Amino acid sequence: MSVAKATNTMLRVILLRVGQALATAALLASLCFAFVHMLPGDLALRVAAARVGDERVTPETADRIRREEGLDRPLIVQYGQWMKSLARGDLGRSLLSGKPVVQELAYHGAFTLQLGLIGWLLSYLIALPLGVFAGFRPGGIVDRATDVLAVTLASLPTFLVGIGLVTLFALTLRWLPPAGFRTSAHMVLPAVTLALSLVAFSIPIIRNAVLEVRAAFFMTYARVKGLSPPAAFRHHGIRNAAIPVVTFAALQFAFVIDGFVVIETLFNYPGLGELLVKALIARDVPVIMGAGLVIGFSFAIVSLTADLLRLWLDPRALEAVRV
Amino acid sequence: MNRVVKRMRQFPKSIWALAALAGIAVLGPVLAPLDPTAQDLLRVMEAPSSQNWLGTDHVGRDILSRVLSGAPHSLGLAVLCVALASGTGLALGLAASNSGAFLRAVIMRSADLMLAFPGLLLALLLAGFLGGGIWPLLIGLNLALWPQYARMTEAVATGVLRQGHVEAARLAGFPERVILLRHVLPPVLRAILPLATLGVGQAIMSISALGFLGLGLKPPTPEWGAMINELLPFLSEGLIQMAAPCLMIFACVLSLTLAGRALAARMEAGSDG
Amino acid sequence: MADPVLSVTNLTIRERNGHILVRDVTLAVPRGGVLTLIGETGSGKSLIAQAVFGLLPPGLEASGQIMLAGRPPIAAGDSRALSGLWREQIMLIPQEPSLALDPTMKIRRQMALAGLDDEAVDPALAAFDLPVHSVDLYPFALSGGMAQRVLVASALGVGAPIIVADEPTKGLDAERVTQAIATLRQLAAAGRSLLVITHDRHMAEALPGTLAIIREGVIVERGDSARVLAAPESDYGRTWLEADPRHWSRSARCCDMSDLALSAHGLAFGWPGAPLLFKGLDLHLPRRSILAISGASGGGKSTLADILLGLRRPLAGSVEWAGADIVADPSAIRRFRQRYQKLHQDPIQSFVPHLSLARQFTALESVKTGLSVARALPPLLERLKVKPDLMDRLPREISGGEAQRLALARILLLDPTVIIADEPTSRLDPVVQRETMALLRQLVDDAGLGLVLISHDRALLRSVADDEIQLDAFKT
Repeated sequence: MSVAKATNTMLRVILLRVGQALATAALLASLCFAFVHMLPGDLALRVAAARVGDERVTPETADRIRREEGLDRPLIVQYGQWMKSLARGDLGRSLLSGKPVVQELAYHGAFTLQLGLIGWLLSYLIALPLGVFAGFRPGGIVDRATDVLAVTLASLPTFLVGIGLVTLFALTLRWLPPAGFRTSAHMVLPAVTLALSLVAFSIPIIRNAVLEVRAAFFMTYARVKGLSPPAAFRHHGIRNAAIPVVTFAALQFAFVIDGFVVIETLFNYPGLGELLVKALIARDVPVIMGAGLVIGFSFAIVSLTADLLRLWLDPRALEAVRV
Repeated sequence: MNRVVKRMRQFPKSIWALAALAGIAVLGPVLAPLDPTAQDLLRVMEAPSSQNWLGTDHVGRDILSRVLSGAPHSLGLAVLCVALASGTGLALGLAASNSGAFLRAVIMRSADLMLAFPGLLLALLLAGFLGGGIWPLLIGLNLALWPQYARMTEAVATGVLRQGHVEAARLAGFPERVILLRHVLPPVLRAILPLATLGVGQAIMSISALGFLGLGLKPPTPEWGAMINELLPFLSEGLIQMAAPCLMIFACVLSLTLAGRALAARMEAGSDG
Repeated sequence: MADPVLSVTNLTIRERNGHILVRDVTLAVPRGGVLTLIGETGSGKSLIAQAVFGLLPPGLEASGQIMLAGRPPIAAGDSRALSGLWREQIMLIPQEPSLALDPTMKIRRQMALAGLDDEAVDPALAAFDLPVHSVDLYPFALSGGMAQRVLVASALGVGAPIIVADEPTKGLDAERVTQAIATLRQLAAAGRSLLVITHDRHMAEALPGTLAIIREGVIVERGDSARVLAAPESDYGRTWLEADPRHWSRSARCCDMSDLALSAHGLAFGWPGAPLLFKGLDLHLPRRSILAISGASGGGKSTLADILLGLRRPLAGSVEWAGADIVADPSAIRRFRQRYQKLHQDPIQSFVPHLSLARQFTALESVKTGLSVARALPPLLERLKVKPDLMDRLPREISGGEAQRLALARILLLDPTVIIADEPTSRLDPVVQRETMALLRQLVDDAGLGLVLISHDRALLRSVADDEIQLDAFKT
C-alpha cells in the first residue's frame, strides 16, 4: 500500500467517524426531544412549575409560556427549531438557575475534565507497572496479587470504592476532607476512586497484551536473528503490546462517564455528572439535554481518537478498514 | 447418583455461591424477621442488638430485614434485565446472521450506534425523564446491553453457518429450523452464557448506582443502592448498617464475576479440543 | 559423511507424561551439503528442528546431544546453551514465515535489525526475486511466499553456516513450491549447509544430498536422496512412494454419454465488480464416471461446486439434474435435493462438533423416509472399513481419514446420484489419500454414481478421473 493510499484511507476513516459522531449527537438530541414530548401531562405547565414554583402556577402563566416558547406549534416545527438552535450552539437557559445552559456546561465541564484527566492518568500510573510486571512473570506473586486486586475492584461499584475510601481516609484517619472541591486535597479521594475503578479493567488488558506479545513467534525469531531479549522487546515488543493497551486506554477515558456521575455525586464535586443528576432530580430539561449531548458527543470524540491511535500504531488496521 | 455427584463437582465453586445468593433472592422476603418498611422513630441508627441483628437505619427500620427483602429488587431485577437484553441480542444476532446484507447491516450498525453510547447515561436520562421506577431501568439497561449479545451471537452464528456441517445438513434436506436449533444455537448459547453471567454482575452495579443517585427504584423500596444513598449522611455513626448492603452487592457481583470467568475459561478449553 | 557440520545424536523427545514423540534420532548435516528429513504430519520432524534450536514447546523434554563441528557437544535439553548458537552458527527459516515478522514494522527495518545494512538489502532482494519496493511494505502486504523469501534473504545476511528450513513449502501452491525449491538450492549454492524438513516429495526430489524418512518419531530409512527415491528399502518407504498419484495405474475410461447424472451448459459466474471467474462452461457427467475439475486456488472451483449443487445461482447457463434444469426451475432442487451431495474438504468440520456421531447418523431418519440407520449403517461401515465403536465418539475424537469415511457413509445413506468432492483428500496424508481415492473409485463403479472431483493436484486428478475440465481455460 502506498503512502498516498494510506493517507487517503486515514482521511476516509476520519470523515466516517466524524460523521458517526455527528449522527450519534443528532440521535441523542432527537431522543431527548422525543423523551420530553413523550412525557405525560402538559409540558407548558411543567415548565411553568419549574420557573415560578408549583403553588403559583396559573393556567395563564402556562398559556404565556406556551406562546413564548412556541409549544403550541406543531411538533415537527418545534423539532426543526430545536435542531436549528442546537446547530447554532444555543441550548437554552436552565430552568433552575436561569443561566444559559452552555455557560453551566462550560463551568461544570471544566471540573469534570480535570477530575477525569487526573483520575485517568493516575490509573495508568498504577496499572502500567503492575500489568507489565505481571505480564513478564505470569503465575508469579505479583500476577496473582494483581489478579485478585483487579477482580475485587471490578466487583465493586464505584460508589462502594468511594465510600470505602471516605470511611478509611476521611472519617477514620481524618487525613483528607470527605467532600468538596476548594483545595487540591479535595481532589485526592475522587481521583483515587476513579483511578481504582479504571485499574480493575486496565491491569488485565496490559498484562495480557504483554504476555501475548512475549509469546509471539516474531519475538522468538528476533532472538534467533541475534537480538538480545531486552533489545527484542524494545524493537518489537513495545509497539505491538501498545496496540491493545492504547486503544483500550483511550476508550476507557470515555467510560469514565459511568464512574464520574457517581463519584461527583458522592463527593459533592461540581462536575457535569453532578449537574446532570441534580437537573434530572429537578426535571431541568434544557440542562439534562445539554449535559446528555455533551457527554454523548465527548464519548464519540474519544472513541474516534481511540480509532485513530490504533490506525497509527497498527498498519494492519488500515488495511482492514473498508470504508 | 455417582454421576450426578461427579457432574456437580465439575461446576466452578463460584456457582455454589451464586446458588446461595439466588436462594436469598427468592426466599429473602420470607426470611426477613421484621417488616422492612416499618419505621420506629424512637429507635433510629441503633447498633446491632438481639432484636435488630444488624441495627436500624435513620428512621428505625430493621437493616437485616431490608437487606434480605432487597435481594429480589437488586438481584432479581438484574437477572431480568440481562435475560431481556440477552434474549433481544440473541434474536437480533440470529436474525442478522441468517438474513440478507441489508437487514444484517441495519441490525449490526444499530448495535454499533448503541455501543457508542455510555450505558449508564441512557438509563440515567430515561430514569430522569420517566421519573424512576422499574421501567426506565429495564428499558435503559436493555438498550445499553443488547448490542454486545447481538454482536457475539452474530459472530458465532456466522462462523458456524460457514462450517461444512451446516452445508452437509442443508444438502441432506434438514429444514432451516433444525439447523438453527441443532447446529447454531448450542455454540451460540455457550458463548453467551459467560457474557450473561458477567452481565448480571454489571447490571447489579448499574441498578445500585442508579439507586444510589436517587434515580432508581424509589424509597421505601429496600433496593441496596437506594439504601446506601439513604444511609450515606449517617456514615460516621452507622458503619455496620452501611456495610450490610455494600457487602451484599460485593458478594453478588464477585461471585458472578468469578463464575463468568470460570465459564469463559471452560468454553475456551472446550473449543481447543 | 566424514565431516558433518551439525550432528544430532540419540535425540529423544518426550512429553512430561513420558509419551515418546521422537525416539533416538541420529542425524548429520554434511559441510556444504543438504540433509532432507521427510515425513507425514505428526511424524515428529518439526520437533527435531525445534529441538536443535532449543525451542521445543513447553511440556516437551529433549535428551541426546547436538554438536557443531569444532565445538563441544551440547545436551539437547540445554536451551540456554543452544540459544548461544543462534545467528552466529545456526539460523532458522521457520514454518510460518508471516508469523516470524513483526506485523507493525516495515521490512527494511526488520532486515536492518537482522544485520543487513542498507547496501546489502537491495542485492539480497534482487537475488531472491523480490520487488525492490517490497522492503517498504508491512508484512501483511506480503504473500506467504514473499515473506519466506524475505526471511531467506535475511538468513543469508547473517553469517550462520548452517540453515534449518522447517516445512518451507507448507501452504504454497505448486508454482510457489518450485520457487521455494529454487530459493533453497540458491542457499546451498552459496555454501551454506542445509537441514530441510518437509512433507513434500517434490521438494525431496529436487534437493541433492541425503534423504531421511521419519515415521512416528523414528528414522526408518536414510541414504543418498536419488537412491532412496528410486528404490526404497523399507516397507514404509515403498508404501510412501507408491502413494504418489503419479505412480498410480490409470483408470479405464468409461462414459456412456446417454446416461447423464449431471450436466451443465454455458455456465458463467463472477463476483460483483470483478471479472468473470468462468464463462461458457459446459460439462457432462455420466453415471459410473469421475469428472475432474482443476484450477488455481481462488479460481472459482468451489463456486462452481456450489452452482452444480444448487447452492448458488450462476449468472448465465443451465444445470441439469436428471434432465431438470435447476436454474430455470428451482423447485427441482427440492425434489432431488438428497440425490446431489457434497464431500467436504475438512471432514471433521462436516460433523456437528458437539453431538456424538451416532446421534448425527440417526438424525438422518427424519429427513429420509424409510431409512433405518440401525439396519443400513453396519454393512456400510464394514464396506468402508470403519470400526463401529467410533460412532459413540465426538467428531474431534476421530482421525481425518476416519471422518472422511464417515462423511462418505452419511452421504451414501441418502442414496445419491452425484457426489461432488471438494479437495476431499488435501488434508489427509499420502497413504490415506490413496486409500480414500481407491474407495471413491470403487463406489463410483459399484453404485453407479457420478463423482465430480475438485482438486488443485493435477497428478492426482489425472490418475483417477475419466475426464478433466481445467477451469482456467474458461477464464475471461
